[in-house]
Amino acid sequence: MCTLLVNATMIAMELKSPEEILKMLEGYRKIVLFGDSGCAQMCDVGGILQLEDMEDFLRQNGKEVLGRIFVEGGICDTNNIRQELIKNQEMLERADAFLIQACGVATQTLTELMPEKESFPAANSKFLGSMPERFVHEERCIMCGDCILDLTGGICPIARCAKGILNGPCGGSMDGKCERDPDTDCVWQLIYDRLKALGKLDNLRSIWKVKDWSLARGPREIIKQET
Amino acid sequence: MKHSQGFPETALKRMLESGRFTVTGEVGPPHGADHSLVLDRTNLVKDYCDAINITDNVRGIPTMSSMVCARFVIQAGAEPVMQMSARDRNRILFESELYGAYALGVRNVLFITGDHTILGSHPQAKMVYDLDSIQALQLASHLMTGQDLAGDELEGVPAFYLGATLNPNADPMELQVWRVEKKRDAGAQFFQTQAIYDTSRLEQFMEQIEPFGVKVLAGLIPLKGPKMATFMNERIPGIKIPKSFIERLEQAGDGLKGDEKREAVRSEGLKIAAETIKKVRGIRGISGIHIMAIGWEESIPELVRAAGLYPRPK
Repeated sequence: MCTLLVNATMIAMELKSPEEILKMLEGYRKIVLFGDSGCAQMCDVGGILQLEDMEDFLRQNGKEVLGRIFVEGGICDTNNIRQELIKNQEMLERADAFLIQACGVATQTLTELMPEKESFPAANSKFLGSMPERFVHEERCIMCGDCILDLTGGICPIARCAKGILNGPCGGSMDGKCERDPDTDCVWQLIYDRLKALGKLDNLRSIWKVKDWSLARGPREIIKQET
Repeated sequence: MKHSQGFPETALKRMLESGRFTVTGEVGPPHGADHSLVLDRTNLVKDYCDAINITDNVRGIPTMSSMVCARFVIQAGAEPVMQMSARDRNRILFESELYGAYALGVRNVLFITGDHTILGSHPQAKMVYDLDSIQALQLASHLMTGQDLAGDELEGVPAFYLGATLNPNADPMELQVWRVEKKRDAGAQFFQTQAIYDTSRLEQFMEQIEPFGVKVLAGLIPLKGPKMATFMNERIPGIKIPKSFIERLEQAGDGLKGDEKREAVRSEGLKIAAETIKKVRGIRGISGIHIMAIGWEESIPELVRAAGLYPRPK
């Protein structure tokens, strides 16, 4: 659940451009905004401040904002969001559309809970990452379904190598940097340094076999059997 | 790894194993559908090379399929080395194209990871990298045992002389050395290096890979001018051109103008390349050179002659 994820890792996202948001809301006047204190707030797309800014912006552009629903935790926490929807039922019934200042999961959760009206995404969900400091997010995991961090000293080449290769680095790794751009670290250099420090360079001596990408392909689901 | 048929006898393999200094060159596929360009470019260089490389959408700039071009190289009477990049094909297409390439008479295949698309003209493209170049070599070796990756028996077993690349300029060196060993273990018999300018790092690298017993062709890209050199330093992955070379190109043809100036700069570029050939010939373990002319195929005959490597043995 998002509340548990917040400090360690999160879905990193960015607000869409104002023009894009107005375009998707064309023809809808009465809007309810959604945000949460989880990933949405941490990424500055759906915290209290961003909901207020969005309300001002939409009003200036001829929309009526009926209200803001700010969920403690995450919109992805279905029980939590259900309570909020019940509390705000009357306002939600009057709305023409919902604008979700959170990730794609949040927008789809609300679509499923309120199928009679459309929920629109105000943000682009970009990656699963860490937040080493305020306003900084770095990709860390692509949820490939087959974690190999035990072999790489806790650094993921699938998410952090620009080519996601398993027997890296490629020939474009120079001075610790990636061929893609001089600001990106070559993750294979990081893995090499880390494994060297751990005395585990042998992990890199043998060929890593082809990856089962079927585990990374959606739609996926997990249904935990009760024991 | 077991091969039911072993590696096929190709002219390239014979040359490399004979111990004679080998010369391969690169022909850039056309940026369009005119196959006559492949024939023309091949005809221009074929007498000067023991085999001709066909690149595979370098930097993600779309050019005619390397398999199709390799076929036209054969038609022009030369032996192709078909390059295959892991960037644009998954394991299914690798298998499919390897069957097709074999059927068309292609026997030398060289696997590369493939440049990131951000470096080319189609940066928005979705990159594949289902396999890396080492896994692609493993796959090709596996097909030579008569089965596909699913374990199903093949209707006709391909046999290839497999190649790979190495880049002595890339970091970390120890890991790059291990990658050469991995590529050999995956089936690579010969290697082409990234373009070499400063030879000291290549020398160091060659010492470290000596125990692996692989054939190495030192890569060369003749420089057309200082702008090209600067561009390559900035935009071509894994290349380091020393400042002194760029200065020589800048100073070449001082006082001249127009075509004369251009000629002077180009001949300085060829001079640098010829000097590099001389240096790499002296490096233990280097079996030959691989000239990547990048749209300047005319430079190959000139360079091969200048280096005293013409005529090529038949």
